[in-house]
Amino acid sequence: MFYMAVGSVYRLSLLGVFTAPLVCFLLSIALMPGLLDASPERKTVVDGWRESHAAFSVLAYGALGLAAVAGSMFIVLNRQLKGAHTGTGLFANLPPARDLNKVVERLLWLGFALLTLGLICGLVMEKSGAANKHLYVALGQWFAYTLLLALEWKRGMPPRKLAIAAVVLFVLSLMIFPLIN
Amino acid sequence: MGLNHETAPVEVREHFAVSEQELGLMASKLTELTTIAESVVISTCNRMEVYVAVEDRQMGLDVLMQHLSQDHDDDEMSHMYQKCGDEAKKHLFALVCGLNSMVLGETEIFGQVKNAYKQAFEAGATKGVLNRLFQKSFSVGKRIRTNTRIQMGATSVGNVAVDLAEKIFGKLKGCHVMIIGAGETSRLVAQSMISRGASQLTVTNRSMERAKALADELNGEVVPFDSWEDALVQADVVVSSTGAPEPVLRAAQIESVRRMRKFRPLFLIDIAVPRDIESQAGDIEEVYLYDIDKLQQLASSARESRAKQVELCEQMIAEEIKQIS
Repeated sequence: MFYMAVGSVYRLSLLGVFTAPLVCFLLSIALMPGLLDASPERKTVVDGWRESHAAFSVLAYGALGLAAVAGSMFIVLNRQLKGAHTGTGLFANLPPARDLNKVVERLLWLGFALLTLGLICGLVMEKSGAANKHLYVALGQWFAYTLLLALEWKRGMPPRKLAIAAVVLFVLSLMIFPLIN
Repeated sequence: MGLNHETAPVEVREHFAVSEQELGLMASKLTELTTIAESVVISTCNRMEVYVAVEDRQMGLDVLMQHLSQDHDDDEMSHMYQKCGDEAKKHLFALVCGLNSMVLGETEIFGQVKNAYKQAFEAGATKGVLNRLFQKSFSVGKRIRTNTRIQMGATSVGNVAVDLAEKIFGKLKGCHVMIIGAGETSRLVAQSMISRGASQLTVTNRSMERAKALADELNGEVVPFDSWEDALVQADVVVSSTGAPEPVLRAAQIESVRRMRKFRPLFLIDIAVPRDIESQAGDIEEVYLYDIDKLQQLASSARESRAKQVELCEQMIAEEIKQIS
């Protein structure tokens, strides 16, 4: 879906090489609850806003995660181009720098739109006390991405800075929710 | 039988050259000679070679020599080499892989051999033997180019620059190239960029006449030398090769247009000595600066890397010949 959204021209085969470790890590985490509890509790009441919040948030994380991965690819390529280290196989296989920059930009916008939808659903859904803390952090995360994209849209930003910001914000987003939970 | 850039100087090679349109006709004429059953004629700027399948090897050589010597004197004929059997197969396979080319591993020869074979085939000059041999040579060529690094990296300064530009911008369609100094090397680099799709060109030079001549030749625009800095806002690639003793393009000039450029990538190619572009320009985040030393170093390491692949290619060719013998 993300590839379709960012345009067929940005199909990046090498993205898999960079995403594979992250996917492996996330899948391992997803397996944990099943391993810990053989017969997990089934939900009887379904809150539509809550489910939408979860779905949009996960999709937003996917897009922002891919933006971070494309950002990492840009940082690697930029380093090689700056240092004239062009003889490696990695250099030959990485997509052009301008395309990578556009991918980061588009995925950030897509992720931001999904994050906004997730946040709106989160504001509407029923909340417990712990959920409020979660909401404040989500708002902080949303403001950070808003600031980044506003800066990029209004005055432009060197591609390397945008790539670093995409990586740092995503890593922080990944770290902060487990910490508050 | 044939001659190439290693055995004959250009004055001799040009006498043997066959125009691209006549390759099939010449191949067909050769099959009218006694004992020559099939033939393919290859003619490029670096070689003229005739591949024939004959009923009697010695008689075939004599007939072919006699035919070629009708239009060429003994001195010219002394540059010819002859190869038979497996040696000829090995030669063709190496040729298709670019191992016999002046620029080792170049890819153009593959298409040239394919075209020569196609013309001979269409003229009815090839049958079972040469059809099999040439088809095999193409599959060997593809296999070697896929499995070795014989064609990796650009080997000339111009191609290195263009490859780097493509690594930065992707397709060069729509890229704006700015030339500072209308020298020969700038012209070559600009031509390479245009051939790969760059559509906008700006030329500036102290002598307006030379700038205009180059701009006309490459279908670009001229900008007066005292106001070229304004054009920097639009440029994606800047090629500089003036004879100025001091830097022509300074880091501060780029800093001043960064925001107007919305921090778009800028590829600076400095092929002048003394250098035209201040080295601090390369420290700016979205600027990629390559001077003549860096470009030559990349071209030379690509050449070295290709040379190291020759042994591997020859081994693979020997295996292929063993299989078909």
